[in-house]
Amino acid sequence: MRAIERVEDALARIAATDARVNAFTDVLAERAHARALAVDAQGRGGALAGIPFAVKNLFDLEGLPTLAGSKIERESAPARRDAVLVRRLEAAGAVCVGALNMDEYAYGFTTENSHVGATRNPHDLARLAGGSSGGSAAAVAAGQVPLALGSDTNGSIRVPASLCGVFGLKPTFGRLPRTGTYPFVASLDHLGPFARSVAGLAAAYDAMQGPDAGDPAQVARLIEPTVPGLDRGTDGLRLGVLGGWFRRMALPAASAAVERCAQALGIERVVDWPEVERARTAAFLITNAEGAALHLPDLRCRAHDFEPLSRDRFLAGALLPAAWIVQAQRVRHWFARQVAASFETVDVVLAPATPCTAPPIGTEWIELDGQRLPARPSLGLLTQPVSCIGLPVVSVPLWGLDLAQPHLPIGVQVIAAPWREDLCLRVARVLEAQGVVQAPVARLDDRRILDE
Amino acid sequence: MDARQVEDLLDAQCALLGLRLAPEHRPGVIRYLQLAIDMAPRVMDFPLEPSDEPANVFVPVAPRSAGQEGA
Repeated sequence: MRAIERVEDALARIAATDARVNAFTDVLAERAHARALAVDAQGRGGALAGIPFAVKNLFDLEGLPTLAGSKIERESAPARRDAVLVRRLEAAGAVCVGALNMDEYAYGFTTENSHVGATRNPHDLARLAGGSSGGSAAAVAAGQVPLALGSDTNGSIRVPASLCGVFGLKPTFGRLPRTGTYPFVASLDHLGPFARSVAGLAAAYDAMQGPDAGDPAQVARLIEPTVPGLDRGTDGLRLGVLGGWFRRMALPAASAAVERCAQALGIERVVDWPEVERARTAAFLITNAEGAALHLPDLRCRAHDFEPLSRDRFLAGALLPAAWIVQAQRVRHWFARQVAASFETVDVVLAPATPCTAPPIGTEWIELDGQRLPARPSLGLLTQPVSCIGLPVVSVPLWGLDLAQPHLPIGVQVIAAPWREDLCLRVARVLEAQGVVQAPVARLDDRRILDE
Repeated sequence: MDARQVEDLLDAQCALLGLRLAPEHRPGVIRYLQLAIDMAPRVMDFPLEPSDEPANVFVPVAPRSAGQEGA
């Protein structure tokens, strides 16, 4: 299939479905046509040749202001060039077709963006897509594009991947360069892909590796391709499931999803990490303070222009004592060392990606571990301790485990030690080959929204 | 901290930072500030050794013209 045909198909699907899903904030038809024709003219081959993709609107796209989900950034100058990862995907033959909705400045897990409206879950339009990369996950789930990019600071790739039923990869912190993206919390920000297959994730990830001097947090590593070893299976790998916090904060559907994967992989071992809740608290405080400091000038003079769901959190975060944040960074390092020791005896561990399947849009509270908790931040309770220490994770989607809502997916995190994205992808690939995990395109049934 | 102390903290920090809170934002900011205050002991009360350094590490920035040798 030629690139221009793939791009035309994607643009037609976006036109037919996005009024219901609300994943896209900009569709770049003219640019995509030109790039697709160029790819065809070059006769490009490879896994990404002619593949349409879209990006969370915190990635720079030449000629567009980089919105990062905000109203305020509509006034910023258009980006002068694409983000590095966009350039790398296009250099491999992929074609960018647009920019995607997100929580304002990435501070949220729901993509209930009041400036442009909520992104709806393609598998149930009355429900949350998750966030903050909700547009990215929804666009893939809706069949609008087979590949999307997002960012993950505390779970913003894995939460929407779980709720929308697609595959997502959060690489090791410092692996992929963030050059040309709008930051949220520089200490914790990661970038990564969403796809409908493990091979799709791996191909995109491999194409995006490599150094870039523009990101001071990137760690100097050789390019370590994952596609060649993708089908090596799990022979020789020591596998476990995470206990403790990761069981307590999971509702039955989330626990059942991990159990199904564990059964498929023959896992019996339970691995306990120490002080997970402290690590989650450290990530919470660092995020709150560092995110707020970034936006302090606008918080001073135009707080009314912020998203109401995040504005008060940003304002509060500006007021936290410095000692809390320094101590939180020390706890984070302590936790990273304990978990590293745990990876001396296990290679890959599993945990739920979200405590539950997608709640209805507007949900305020959920009950977990006997506690009534605010729903929006609680969607990240199981992802936050993992990204806090920068571990690579593939989120894989399972189905039919929420007995009350069997049409909804839920994700499982496949987690490895730093720099072992290859192991996450190999295990995910085994689960996919067994039919345990999959990412079908949503039927986009309107009746569910009409019933609400 | 009691509710009055939280309000005093809010007012003092806002004055220091030049933040003028709109009245309608104040209850939400207090709610989130109280949430952080409630969570902070989980990190502040955790015993650490002096050798437990923060996770953020500064990377010195060399001038573009500097070579590897002597760096």
